[in-house]
Amino acid sequence: MGSANKKYWKGIEELTEEPSFIEQSNKEFVDYVPVDNFMSEENALSTSNTSRRDFLKFLGFSVTAATIASCETPVTKAIPYLVKPEELNPGVANYYSSTYFDGNDFSNILIKTREGRPIHIEANKNLSGAGVNARVNSSVLMLYDSNRLQYPVDKSGEEVSWKDADKEIISALKAASAKGGKIRVLTNTIVSPSTQSIIDNFAGIYGGEGAADVRHISYDSISYSGMIAANSESFGKAFVPSYRFDKAGSIVSIGADFLSTWLSSVEYAGQYGKTRKPDGEMSKHFQFEAGLSVTGSNADHRTAVLPSEYGKVAVDLYNAVAELTGGTRTSGGGSPYTEAIQHAAESLVSMKGKSLVVCGSNDKSVQIVVNAINAALGNYGSTIDLNHPSHLRRGSDTDLKMLTDEMNKGQVDVLITFYGNPAWTSPSSLGFASGMEKVGMKVSMATYFDETSQLCDYTLPDNHFLEAWGDANPTQGVYALAQPTISPLYNSRQVQESLLTWMGQPQTSYDYIRAYWENNLFPTSGAVFFEDFWNQSLHDGIYTVSHDEQHEEPNFAADVSAAASAASSSKSSELELFLYQKTGIGDGQHASNPWLQELPDPVSKITWDNYVTMAASDMKARGFNLNLGQEQESDMVTVSVGDLVSEELPVVAQPGQKPGTIGIALGYGRQVWKNKEKIGVNAYPFSEMNGTVSYHRNGASITETGNKYHVAATQTSHTVMGRTGVIRETTLDVYKAGDRNDFNPVVALPTHEGLEAVKNITLWEPQNTEISGHLWGMSIDLNTCIGCGSCVTACNSENNVPVVGKDEVRRGREMHWMRIDRYYSSDADLEDKSISGYRSMEEPGSMPEVVYQPMMCQHCNNAPCETVCPVAATTHSNEGLNQMTYNRCIGTRYCANNCPYKVRRFNWFNYIADRKFTEFNPSQDDLGRMVLNPDVTVRARGVMEKCSMCVQRIQAGKLEAKKNSSKVEDGAISTACASACPTHAITFGDLNDKSSRIANHDAGDRAYRVIEDVGTRPNIVYLTKVRNKETAQA
Amino acid sequence: MRLLSQSFLKIPVLVALLVQFVPLLTYSQIDGEKLFKTNCSACHAITAKKLIGPGLAGVEERWEDKALLYQWIKNSASVLEMGDPYATQLYEKYNKSIMPAQPVNDEEITAILAYVANPPVVADAAPAAGEGLAQLAEKEPTIQPWIVLLGVVVLLYILMSLLRSLQYTLRKIEADKEGLPVPEQLSLSRSIGKWIGANKTLFALMLIVLGVVSAKAGWDALFTIGIYQGYEPEQPIAFSHKIHAGAQKIDCNYCHSAARHGKSAGIPTANVCMNCHTYIQEGAVNGTEEISKIYAANGYDPEAGSYTAESEGPIKWVKIHNLPDHAYFNHSQHVTVGKVACQTCHGPIEEMDVVQQWAPLTMGWCINCHRETKVSAEGNGYYDEIHSRFTEEMKKEFMKDGVITVSEYGGIECAKCHY
Repeated sequence: MGSANKKYWKGIEELTEEPSFIEQSNKEFVDYVPVDNFMSEENALSTSNTSRRDFLKFLGFSVTAATIASCETPVTKAIPYLVKPEELNPGVANYYSSTYFDGNDFSNILIKTREGRPIHIEANKNLSGAGVNARVNSSVLMLYDSNRLQYPVDKSGEEVSWKDADKEIISALKAASAKGGKIRVLTNTIVSPSTQSIIDNFAGIYGGEGAADVRHISYDSISYSGMIAANSESFGKAFVPSYRFDKAGSIVSIGADFLSTWLSSVEYAGQYGKTRKPDGEMSKHFQFEAGLSVTGSNADHRTAVLPSEYGKVAVDLYNAVAELTGGTRTSGGGSPYTEAIQHAAESLVSMKGKSLVVCGSNDKSVQIVVNAINAALGNYGSTIDLNHPSHLRRGSDTDLKMLTDEMNKGQVDVLITFYGNPAWTSPSSLGFASGMEKVGMKVSMATYFDETSQLCDYTLPDNHFLEAWGDANPTQGVYALAQPTISPLYNSRQVQESLLTWMGQPQTSYDYIRAYWENNLFPTSGAVFFEDFWNQSLHDGIYTVSHDEQHEEPNFAADVSAAASAASSSKSSELELFLYQKTGIGDGQHASNPWLQELPDPVSKITWDNYVTMAASDMKARGFNLNLGQEQESDMVTVSVGDLVSEELPVVAQPGQKPGTIGIALGYGRQVWKNKEKIGVNAYPFSEMNGTVSYHRNGASITETGNKYHVAATQTSHTVMGRTGVIRETTLDVYKAGDRNDFNPVVALPTHEGLEAVKNITLWEPQNTEISGHLWGMSIDLNTCIGCGSCVTACNSENNVPVVGKDEVRRGREMHWMRIDRYYSSDADLEDKSISGYRSMEEPGSMPEVVYQPMMCQHCNNAPCETVCPVAATTHSNEGLNQMTYNRCIGTRYCANNCPYKVRRFNWFNYIADRKFTEFNPSQDDLGRMVLNPDVTVRARGVMEKCSMCVQRIQAGKLEAKKNSSKVEDGAISTACASACPTHAITFGDLNDKSSRIANHDAGDRAYRVIEDVGTRPNIVYLTKVRNKETAQA
Repeated sequence: MRLLSQSFLKIPVLVALLVQFVPLLTYSQIDGEKLFKTNCSACHAITAKKLIGPGLAGVEERWEDKALLYQWIKNSASVLEMGDPYATQLYEKYNKSIMPAQPVNDEEITAILAYVANPPVVADAAPAAGEGLAQLAEKEPTIQPWIVLLGVVVLLYILMSLLRSLQYTLRKIEADKEGLPVPEQLSLSRSIGKWIGANKTLFALMLIVLGVVSAKAGWDALFTIGIYQGYEPEQPIAFSHKIHAGAQKIDCNYCHSAARHGKSAGIPTANVCMNCHTYIQEGAVNGTEEISKIYAANGYDPEAGSYTAESEGPIKWVKIHNLPDHAYFNHSQHVTVGKVACQTCHGPIEEMDVVQQWAPLTMGWCINCHRETKVSAEGNGYYDEIHSRFTEEMKKEFMKDGVITVSEYGGIECAKCHY
């Protein structure tokens, strides 16, 4: 009754009758409607005060809007060329042969362009020996980087005109020349003969008697100065020889990662692959190194040694070889690896004249000892070619040191630097940055406003290599041409044209190179018309001087004993630091490339970061977390050597690493794509100038900071747990014995009729594909796969695979269609069937053997994914392909759950629009989108995707055959991964074409299918890995 | 009655036929026209307009010596050799290009000159008689269906009102006669309500029928979303396929050459247009208006006969056939390998003035064709190889209907078009 008079307050505001409350209470809705796109922003979503009613309003509006919008076609315009270039048909790709050299990698490449846009880089398959690695085939992306320097800038980064910049620079040059000052040109190794001639002419114009002292200084971001000096002392000529790994029957590498980063690694990987065929003569490979490198992981025998012991190992090897060949021993040496060294020496001597010893040390005396071993084995003239020296590394650390001294003394008037980033890559003790302040006029020509450019008065944008003309002389007698495949995107000018302008001879680099070739190379060719010679060379991408002079092989003439004692002198310390290059990032000039950042390191499988690697035993002793994974955080440390202290880095356990060492990858500490945050830590300052730059430091120490860091690794399990269905490997003598049952037994299951091979048992009708038409398949030779990841980035480029970033990789959501599984061997006893026994099988051995297994959709003929899709979005083609139809997919992810190979990838986000990915996904940028392959759909959120076996290439290849009225020739179609593989480990072909290479592989004894006992009948064939080692040691 | 109307209809037809024959009756003069068109029109206009050579209007007045003109036409070089000043002047003026000798005799030249002197009077809107192009521009006036519907509704309403008032009057009269009280006239809605009350079953039935029909119509309408069959946008240039492909019989591949090579048929680039339109400067329907747009794009100056004008840039055509991005279609597979005629998918393109999307371009439409079309595999080495791999059972199965269709090669599998 009384309740009618009672007043209930809704809140204290109503009771106190606050004006704002009264105002609010008169309105049904508050004014503010949160209209920001809260759904795609994590923070906004969690803090958003959007009510259910707002949500319904949005929903209602958007449904209506979408319905209305979908009824109206947007008018699309079709704009043809005004005058169509003759060689171009819309929708048909053109290929141009060209050359890649960035100071680190050299490669003869083919550039695929669509409608005038370069979209893919692969090896020039017309040239035997040409190959690409991940760094080369990913370089196409950086053409479309909007962070590239777009116009000339002054010191503060403000835009200046080319005219003004040229005027200032020319007057500085003239002033320096008039007063007889010093002009210095600092570059990476110049491999282009025409550029070298421009620099020489430049010196001629501004230098000379009574004019300036003009000098060109070459250096290399990763120095090979020690090797060049050693050759100078050994053979009287400063050079890097050409190595011929394909001729080597026995290879010993002391710390040289020649398959992925050392010297001309692309070329060496191809040569090495040729010697790893167990059916022919298979090479034997020994590796002595501190960390586990890609090369070391492929070795037949690997010994972990301290970085300070490289010299001692070399001397011991020299003595062991001398003993076996009856030569004279030398003093020094004394490493504790007698047995392994003896073993290696025996192998080398047994392959005398066909063996090869290489060393990654940049110490002159160590390299002299290595030369002495090669000389004692008679390798010069067979596996080492002194007649055709390599020109890929010519940098001199002595010159660099001299230059920085001059700079610091304030003697340099003009410094012009291009092709390189010395302020970032030089050792901190060198004082390059401080010297720069004392230089009169500093000019940098670069594609980015990088660390060196920031110290310069003018930075002039250089063309990307896909926008520039160029030539190269990689080895004596071999010349290559590089041609532009797109007009410059920005207001940039080629380095050569800038120099020519300053010399008062402005002309295009095209004209200059043509003239250079006409005057210098055309006479050696024997061709009648220059035009023919030029066109042929440009078409081929390469010109080889046919009749070059044979010099007499110089004899080895260095003082071995002096070198040996110098090489043995280095002391070891409690903790040694070595700096190494990662396969993806290399020397770091491509560090801003998101494809390469997301490429897992072949060995550690970690993306997006550099880190401190340590032996597991060392980490256990310090109480660090050894595990990687979603719930695992790594401990952070700082590393210090002398006065130098690094920023924080996570510590990661690396099986196979020598205890007492720590490793840090070079090339990090840079911005990636549009992300302002620096990725990783720059380790170059730790390198040391000791006559030559040394990448190894004694007396390092680490300090735990107490912070934790979640490392983004794509593989957190390390072993196969003894399952033979995944990896099959054997040793060479077992394989040579020839009984398949010993190394690759047929997979059989017991049936009511007795043991039956799995391939004969099935619940299903045989697919038509297996008996008729095409049956596309791939074979992957585990023996020649070196795990480098070139296939992964090639697949990204071909199939528009999105970049997902560090955070998503941590959640295991990387989108790569192709991954390379890396398995360590375990020291565990496989017979121990207890739980602890199994658990110990998960632990990799401390000195494990490594197997790489490229894994992608297996295109099963009895595919488990197909049977569980409720909407038939994944189906089987009559050519053996497991097809994925994105538009049908509703995202149940049943298929991924049912896939025994775990190769299906789900689009958790709309990677091409979601703000979370803007900073590193190139597809969100108008320019970055240009790199997409127009023949492959860009997938939307909520659909499944996976390897299509490059169905777009298959369809194109079939169409070509139909137009030519011929069968599809074996090798005419190739997938992106197969054509990117530098060792030709991947072969694509038609299994129903009985004469094809893949049919031969499939019929061979080494062929097996992964987890064949499941009965999925994949079309991907793996070939058993064969190690060239003695069975007794296994 | 019926007969009469038919014979009435025949009269205009006869008149039209007669009109058609009028030009034929005066054919002796046309001889010159035909000769002009075969021999002269490539370089000369019948007016004073300059093409490759000078316009021919008043040509006879320009030459003092008639015999020299005749000789000039037959062999101009010989006149130049004689050193005739007017001939030399012409030669200099037209970039020193010699007019080729023409294979005509004196009578024929007379006929040509007669034709040039008295060209047929061209009707304002219908030039180029005989090619029947003039009518193309005309459109038949049609009555919009909704106007008819509206008329019918209004008519019915009037009829209903009339009938209702008639009925009411009759009832009033009847009531007056019977001496009953005059019934009140019900409003329209009330009387409809009353009717519904009296015929509930019938009304319910009508409702159900209406519901079903509109549901069906709605369902069908949903299926037309995203289908733009008949899409016929206005193009920046009123280019007519009817003239080029129909009347002039230019091969489709001449302009759409990319169709043989790649996935896109390609819209001809403006320089391809110039191959012909350097000479054909005036169209039959639109005169110079549309062709001048090609010149503007190319930067071609028809007066000077050179590419010296400023180019307006490429022509922005409106795309008609828009396949979604996730569907891969390759023209060369169909044109070069499958030997499918353009018209199979594009309809009677040679009859279209304004191109429209003839086919629905739906997946169902694609698949139907792939199910029914026999693959023209004879003599193609690729298919020979595939056939040799078929097993006997498969061949028997495939050949049940006598042909191996595209779908039997796997032509309706997802990844043939979606990747």
